[in-house]
Amino acid sequence: MTELFFELLNYKFFTNALLASVFASINCGIIGTYIVTRRLVFISGGITHTSFGGIGIGYFFGFNPIVSAAVFSVLAALGIEFFSKKADVREDSLIGIFWSFGMALGIIFAFLAPGYTPNLMGYLFGSLLTVTPLDIRLMIALTIIVTLFFVAFYKVILFISFDQEYAKTHNAPVQFINYALISLVALTIVLSIKVAGIILVISLLTIPQTIANLFSKNFMNILILSVPIAFFCAFSGLLISYSLNIPSGASVIMSLVFTFIIAKLFTIIVNKLSVKKAVLNQKKPTKA
Amino acid sequence: MGKILEITDLYAGYGNEIILKDVSLVVNDNDYIGIIGPNGGGKTTLLKVILGIIKPYRGSVTFFNDRQGESSNGESSNIIGYLPQINQIDLRFPIQVADVVLSGLMSKEGLFSRYSGRQKKLAESLLSRLGVYHLRKKTIGELSGGQLQRIYLCRAIISSPRLLMLDEPNTFVDTKFETDFYEILRDLNNDMAIIVVSHDVGTISWYVKTIACVNRNLHYHPTNTITQEQLASYNCPIQLVTHGDIPHTVLATHKH
Repeated sequence: MTELFFELLNYKFFTNALLASVFASINCGIIGTYIVTRRLVFISGGITHTSFGGIGIGYFFGFNPIVSAAVFSVLAALGIEFFSKKADVREDSLIGIFWSFGMALGIIFAFLAPGYTPNLMGYLFGSLLTVTPLDIRLMIALTIIVTLFFVAFYKVILFISFDQEYAKTHNAPVQFINYALISLVALTIVLSIKVAGIILVISLLTIPQTIANLFSKNFMNILILSVPIAFFCAFSGLLISYSLNIPSGASVIMSLVFTFIIAKLFTIIVNKLSVKKAVLNQKKPTKA
Repeated sequence: MGKILEITDLYAGYGNEIILKDVSLVVNDNDYIGIIGPNGGGKTTLLKVILGIIKPYRGSVTFFNDRQGESSNGESSNIIGYLPQINQIDLRFPIQVADVVLSGLMSKEGLFSRYSGRQKKLAESLLSRLGVYHLRKKTIGELSGGQLQRIYLCRAIISSPRLLMLDEPNTFVDTKFETDFYEILRDLNNDMAIIVVSHDVGTISWYVKTIACVNRNLHYHPTNTITQEQLASYNCPIQLVTHGDIPHTVLATHKH
């Protein structure tokens, strides 16, 4: 495996893929913790699929699809957040509307786009090996923004996520934090599409956090643990993808799911053992 | 003894539905008001208007500062400690007890600053005062309803508010805990005014000083004894649950 790794480092496409995994893991580790603890998985799925509209628009007008998807999905995220509060529509119904609207728009524009639409499948299912230097620069910029935002506002983010209404009674900037974070969720999703694809990216935002949550019940610990877990799975998925010649997005998800299963089994066994130990310790004094 | 807040001719509700009509109330230092009334009558709405979570349609809530008389409106958060209904939170949220208590200092802190050692000590001393110090490193999901109420009480009083407001603190707890809890509140009442919302009239009337019946309107009753007839005259259709050791004085008809 190590030989394979050093051999691959000689290839530009591989180092790009590796860098993309690193920064996607940091972004998804942090933002995913917010998504999972606040139960925003469904809205995140909605934003992800809506972004396909942006990709179609990009193809049709000849922009970089990732850039137009970023703009489009931030607007969609803000729209869902805004309309679910102001208009009298249930939030999950609204997500369903945005979700299908974005996909439909993407299909229409991609169909109408002049000539051949390369890599369309790559956006749907991920293609780590076609990551461009621009993708990486955007991901680095996002990592800096996300990290600074969480360092600066950590306490407020934690308290608002835990009990939004109580935070309001303390005049916390609830609305600002909600809008800012949902925008960061949208950007994180779009800039991770190359790693796992529109259909699969939600896994990077939920599975590492769920694994981390098996070992800790503390927001900060989950946030910090999720990053290496996400990277380990993205990296091993990448190597599997290369050596078995299968799509990278799917192999990354396989790696995440299997890591989750192993971690879950591990915690079950550890819990059983510690219960056994506790029972044994209980018995000892009665014997003596 | 000073005035803490004054509500005048208040109308409030959600969307198109007006829930509170023409409500007026004055809260003074060391008051202990029990708010009773049927479900959907507007008890929680009233608390939320006082807290500034809901903006009134008409009328006003005015806060009075200790020294300089009247203060600006939005400053309520440093004056009020709030204990919401515990069924409103996500019990699986990964947050530690100590952090929950410290979140009661949110508005006294800048957005960026870390907690000082003094503040952490304050949180710990409150936790020991309420007998839950040993839980400080637990996640909230591991606690019982009664333990959670105490943690919430710590969060509500850590900023030393002038007014403590509690929304149904006796749901999900056993009788033993309830008695302890109300003893703690009685103690706290020496330092702050208290407003407690409850539908268990029998229990709270034993502890509170005055009663406000809220059912769309508000009727203020300046003692802690109330009869079924009076409740009816206040348009407050709730059952008076009588516990054995609670004195029930039948009062002369009371004008409001």
